[in-house]
Amino acid sequence: MTGVELILLLPLIVLSGAAVAVMLAIAVRRNYLAAFLLTLLGFVLTIMAVALSPGGPQRNVTALFVFDDFARFFIGLITGAGLFVAVLAFDYFRQQRGQFEEFFIMLLGATFGCAVLVASRHFASLFLGLEILSVSLYAMIAYSRDREISTEAGLKYLILAGVSAAFLVFGMALVYAQTGALEFSRMPYITASPDEPLDIIVLAGFGMIIVGIGFKLALVPFHLWTPDVYQGAPAPVTAFIATASKGAVFALLLRLFAQTDVAFYPPLYVTFVILAIASMLFGSWLALLQNNMKRILAYSSIAHLGFLLVAFMGRGHIQSTAAAFYLTAYFVTTLGAFGIVSLLSPGERDAEWIEDYRGLFWRRPFVAVVFSVMIFSLAGIPLTGGFVGKVLVILAGEQAAQWALVVVLVTASAISLFYYVRVVGIMYMPAEAGGADRPALPGLSLQGGGALACLTGLLVLLGVYPGPFLDLVRDMVTTVYAGVLPR
Amino acid sequence: MPATVEIAVFWPFFVYFGCVIVLVAGMVGVSYVLGSRHWERATGAPFESGIVTTGSARVGVPANFYLVAMLFVIFDLESVFLFAWAAVVRQVGWTGYVGACVFIVMMAAALVYLWRVGALEGR
Amino acid sequence: MLMELWVVPALPLAGFCVLALVGKRLSRWLVAGIGAGSVGLAMVGAIYFSHDFMAFEPTGHLYRESLWTWLNVGGFSPDIGLYLDPLSVVMMLVVTIVGFLIHVYSIQYMAGDEAYSRFFAYMNLFVSSMLILVLADDLLILYLGWEGVGLCSYLLIGFWYQSAANARAAIKAFVVTRVGDTAMAIGLFLLFTQLGTLDIQEVLVRAVRQWPVGSATAIAAAGLLLAGAVGKSAQLPLQVWLPDAMAGPTPVSALIHAATMVTAGVYLIARMHDLFIIAPPVQTAVAVIGAATLVLAGCSAMTQFDIKRVLAYSTISQVGYMFLALGVHAWSAALFHFMTHAFFKSLLFMGAGAVIISMHHEQNMFKMGGLRKQLPFTFWTFLIGACSLASLPLVTSGFYSKGLILWSVWATGHPVLWGAALLGEFITSVYTFRMVFLTFFGEPKGEVSARPGPIILGPLVILAFFSTVAGCVHIPRPLGHFRLFARLVEQALPVPPMQPLPIATEVVFQLLMQGSVLLGVAFAYVLFLRRNDLVAAWTARPAGNALHRFWFSGWGFDWVYTTLLAKPYVWFAHASRDDAFEWIYRGIGAINRGLHEQLSRTQTGLVRWYAVGIVIGAVLLLGLVVFL
Repeated sequence: MTGVELILLLPLIVLSGAAVAVMLAIAVRRNYLAAFLLTLLGFVLTIMAVALSPGGPQRNVTALFVFDDFARFFIGLITGAGLFVAVLAFDYFRQQRGQFEEFFIMLLGATFGCAVLVASRHFASLFLGLEILSVSLYAMIAYSRDREISTEAGLKYLILAGVSAAFLVFGMALVYAQTGALEFSRMPYITASPDEPLDIIVLAGFGMIIVGIGFKLALVPFHLWTPDVYQGAPAPVTAFIATASKGAVFALLLRLFAQTDVAFYPPLYVTFVILAIASMLFGSWLALLQNNMKRILAYSSIAHLGFLLVAFMGRGHIQSTAAAFYLTAYFVTTLGAFGIVSLLSPGERDAEWIEDYRGLFWRRPFVAVVFSVMIFSLAGIPLTGGFVGKVLVILAGEQAAQWALVVVLVTASAISLFYYVRVVGIMYMPAEAGGADRPALPGLSLQGGGALACLTGLLVLLGVYPGPFLDLVRDMVTTVYAGVLPR
Repeated sequence: MPATVEIAVFWPFFVYFGCVIVLVAGMVGVSYVLGSRHWERATGAPFESGIVTTGSARVGVPANFYLVAMLFVIFDLESVFLFAWAAVVRQVGWTGYVGACVFIVMMAAALVYLWRVGALEGR
Repeated sequence: MLMELWVVPALPLAGFCVLALVGKRLSRWLVAGIGAGSVGLAMVGAIYFSHDFMAFEPTGHLYRESLWTWLNVGGFSPDIGLYLDPLSVVMMLVVTIVGFLIHVYSIQYMAGDEAYSRFFAYMNLFVSSMLILVLADDLLILYLGWEGVGLCSYLLIGFWYQSAANARAAIKAFVVTRVGDTAMAIGLFLLFTQLGTLDIQEVLVRAVRQWPVGSATAIAAAGLLLAGAVGKSAQLPLQVWLPDAMAGPTPVSALIHAATMVTAGVYLIARMHDLFIIAPPVQTAVAVIGAATLVLAGCSAMTQFDIKRVLAYSTISQVGYMFLALGVHAWSAALFHFMTHAFFKSLLFMGAGAVIISMHHEQNMFKMGGLRKQLPFTFWTFLIGACSLASLPLVTSGFYSKGLILWSVWATGHPVLWGAALLGEFITSVYTFRMVFLTFFGEPKGEVSARPGPIILGPLVILAFFSTVAGCVHIPRPLGHFRLFARLVEQALPVPPMQPLPIATEVVFQLLMQGSVLLGVAFAYVLFLRRNDLVAAWTARPAGNALHRFWFSGWGFDWVYTTLLAKPYVWFAHASRDDAFEWIYRGIGAINRGLHEQLSRTQTGLVRWYAVGIVIGAVLLLGLVVFL
């Protein structure tokens, strides 16, 4: 292992080191604030390490990892999400009774798993990253131990993630059995020409890998766990599952199918089209009359992953750029939305019912405006990042001549407007007279309000002035195609 | 190869499969026909060397017991990785040595943590 | 030098954001400071940039500031940029200066109002939208400002929304201008599809290059834009909203009439002048609409009781003059009149506001009278504004600007329109001095409760000063021939095609105009101060009464629109409440609802079912993959 490789690995080293450091700090002296600050330091150092590491294409480190610009971008994005979740969790758990220092170890661990995922170029590191992420998530989801629903959610996620991981490993085994390769780059073209049908075992193997990945991304029909787990998990954890966990797996999918063209063999391609259509429509329909904020956001995230798959359906830079941009806007928006749910939660329960938000504008104008911006972005209303993302995705779908997908995307967006606008409408309604029986929502802390303001600013910036960021993403996605020989 | 050829090649397997079915069916069937049937008070009770059982088998064991057992298994399994290193210690050289050290330090840190939070104390 | 032009519209916008977000928690003085201060700073910026612009004379007499590209996809890359040329310099200066004075005036005028910060937030947004409109480099941004102005007028006309009448007036203003806005949006679509760009300068260049003079496309495009301008500027036939817009607070009326809303149409036509030049029928229509509007609105103004309604009709009439000037290619004359009008009309509105608050919010002129003694300060400033509106000779700015319009109309060879304009001069001075005589002369009829304070009177003095001297920037040939304003504006707009007539002719026509003005003043003096019984006798007769009512109701436009459009529409909407289309939409709703309910049943909460779901999905997926 050379010095350059160590520097490239630095983000992962810093993240894991931070986790160990927090653990030892707790061993020395149990202090909530200290654990939080150490975690923040870890995240900030990781982002610095990402920023300072040499960029470019094809920065391989051993057979397992690659730290090209693509990986750097997503590690940065995910670490940013982790940082924000840490801020949320600090405020969230502070109101509850119990020991919550270890949560930050889990958070660092989960972020580490995500980082491993996006930097992996090998089935082994893929699986390792996925399991590090999952194991941390089990504990994080069930962290509010005295709440039954939280424990239940953790148990559900444990069992179902186990089932899906079994599919994933089985798929990898089948692919390995047939191609003898575990590195992505060594299996780019399994057949001599794209017209020749793929070997049935390889196809079945990739099909099973899609099942495993589809579970993590909550694509229909592997989505059933989503609302229950989102609802049961503490709100900051939900924010993490919805963003970092999904984003890392999607980035991995992008890399896997940028390096191999297996997704474009007709059977798998059709599979993806069906998954995308089903996710967009079912997600929107399921959210339609939902009264639980966390469940609405869960269903809406199902639909959003469907939208993302539309961008995924073409093998080109436009598509990858659209996907990466959309994913970023989705990160910012979802973090903001769950952030508000988390920051507004009183100690004894989560502010998850839509009734909690009635007349929010009249009580908390700032929070209501921020929430409105987030929801408008989710709905894809202009001047927000979500709008630009949606435009790019539609353009990408149009470039790939996927008209059916584009039509479904537009239909699903129209359906989704119903439940988005409903939430906004409720926030601006006059506060009900007999609302005194509900517990008062806690005030925003300085760091919470500041983080929300940052996210809102970022979102509007992405919607109004996306140019420079778009250029960055465009350059970044080219590196993921590096080293793939043109057919 | 054509399907007919496959069957021709694999015929011993089919014979073996048939024999197993016949043998198992014979054992169960013969003991069913020959065996005596009785239904008395102690027929359903567990057989413990002729001693009558006292109390339920579902005894509560302190949770700490499981905790220590689990911690043992975890550390045991983790240290198993060192065997893999031991097998190739010369080939992997100093890089492997540093890697193993990091691994051991992490395990030690975890142990320190467990010791400090009191997970090892039998209460 | 001309860097950072964007701060001019950004400052009031920032003021709006601050006031909208935290205005309620701020003290009144802070709100006033932010509200008026942001516009004041914008004014300072506008003066600074204008000075730079004139001092350095950038190449081509224009300055572009490209801010950013919104997004760049599929060949559609709208540039967000600002554009400064003499036309926008004049607009920007007038909007910020008059806007600032109105804001200062409002500090005291609105002092007793509960929604103090809301008022200033809307006002700031209004000024900001108007600045965006006049500085826009691109029709898309111009349209943004255009709609922003429309939104703010709606919010401010209905500012006291507790009263149903105010809310109705706001809705009326919004709906009527929307008719024009829709036409304008279609016009923009037409321009974009035909010319492939929305950049204003590029549109003009390509239009002139691609379309021959009088081609159908050019006429259609110009006509649609004209419809938009007519709606915003309250010209025939969409003028009906402006008199009702008096429902808002008086400073709002001043802002709408003087600096922002109604002049947007004038600006649009001046900005798109090349397009109008290649569409001669539309150009003629502009002139005819202007002439017809100025006479019609003038007649209505003569019959009103409410002092603000008189001013409202007079605005319609004065903007008619501007349209007339635009229609005869006298671009600089239109802009000149826009500038002087902004000064004296805001002066008149704010003077009227001072009178109204002194009289317990009484707006009926027949219940006023004799205020000359009680409110001397207000009287003198109001009189200066009124003289300027009636364009009394030599000492008023209105004399110079309207004189230029009339002379341009004659010199470009439109005798009929000139006649209408001359008649308008007479009518203008009649209704103006009717208003002055009824309000300030004669017997006192009501008591003065409160005297306006210094913050109200300060802006009046400044505006009175401007109303007097602003005419000096352009002095006609017989009086000295000083063409500072026209020279500036003609850097951006073409010179009107005037026939070279001798100076003597011009002198004769100036005298004719002055004659009609003075005749009007005398007429008003006789009818409304000396012989009140004459008017009463006329209106007592059936014919006179009918004419009075006809003019009073604004030539019956409201009645026509209600009968021909609103009522049948309401009837149709009622009749088609349960038609087939409704069933389609309900059906779509029901289908989605049903699907939601069916799908919700899959969320059982049982983990074994969820696992089975994954397995079923996997089986289906593998079946698909393997057998396809």
